[in-house]
Amino acid sequence: MNLQREVLLVLDEVLSLGGRGLEFRRETCLLGSIPELDSMAVVTLITTLEERMGITVSDDEIDGSAFATVGSLVDFVSHRANG
Amino acid sequence: MAETGLPRREVFFADSPTFERGQRLCVWTAPANEPARNLILHVHAFGDEMNKSRRMTALQAIDAARVGCAVLQVDLHGCGDSSGEFEEATWDTWLADVRSAARLAVARHAQRWPTAAPPTCWMWGHRVGALLAAQSIKALDPDWRLLLWHPVAQGKSFLQQLLRVRSAAEKMRNASGATVAQLRARLHDGEALDLAGYRVTAAMADALEAASLPPTLGLRQVCWLEVSAGTEPSLLPASSAIADRWRQAGAHVMTRVVPGPAFWQTTEIEDAPALISATREVVTGS
Repeated sequence: MNLQREVLLVLDEVLSLGGRGLEFRRETCLLGSIPELDSMAVVTLITTLEERMGITVSDDEIDGSAFATVGSLVDFVSHRANG
Repeated sequence: MAETGLPRREVFFADSPTFERGQRLCVWTAPANEPARNLILHVHAFGDEMNKSRRMTALQAIDAARVGCAVLQVDLHGCGDSSGEFEEATWDTWLADVRSAARLAVARHAQRWPTAAPPTCWMWGHRVGALLAAQSIKALDPDWRLLLWHPVAQGKSFLQQLLRVRSAAEKMRNASGATVAQLRARLHDGEALDLAGYRVTAAMADALEAASLPPTLGLRQVCWLEVSAGTEPSLLPASSAIADRWRQAGAHVMTRVVPGPAFWQTTEIEDAPALISATREVVTGS
């Protein structure tokens, strides 16, 4: 399965979007557009992505900037998956 | 399997001499008209994970009681409706609470059903509660079994998550928010911090950081259940490693992953029915 779909599955699950998340595209805005995406959800998402995709995110990288859009989040994961 | 009909659910407070430093809220869910074949003590999760899990825990207790289990739930010191503020709680008090609750559960059942065969006893720990359960079960006789729901294996990682939430919140508000390292240093210096809605003292942070699942459980029976919403659910690699270590030291460890949401951390309260039926199966053996 492709990376974007995997990321959307995690988004949908953690934010309890009930399937809506699976319809997001790269341009879809996340932070600021989805009220459920608070600091708790940001960290839960990062942890779940770390566990499911075997990536490691350092503490200093968690500031929400990766969550601007679906595209920025997928790129964030992709860079760490290949490193 | 035969159901025993509507369970009885009783809520009561217990205090000294069973528990120190005030009272604990207890909920007892058991078959209404017959002795239990299994006795289960629930050890709840930490902070907001406990709140988000209330529904699933209640559903499980009621389901278990329908198939011959007596379940005791206790709000630990400083948690839920028990005495004390959260910042007054200590890890050692929690361990003592768990041991006391285990004895209370056994005594309560025996008092109700003095001529019944003693039930099989289980300590059912969820997330950080699994850490507490695994650490306190050493004080109980070897027949006590361990039932773990998605255990936190290292308190240090759990503390890191709490610090990450605080750091992320600060940095999302303004770029000069505290880093995780800075927050940890403040805890080291003795400052209590509000983390994910709960006031965590330096002592509690130290205790969490030092807590991990014990390297061995002796010859104990363990059921390790995890929940995954992933497309190919599998046990976390770290969990498999611990389970294997326990097996090498003589424990009988059964692991299982069921599909479902991580209900202790999802934004909305969600159910994981597959976890309820899996728990029913492993406890009743059918």
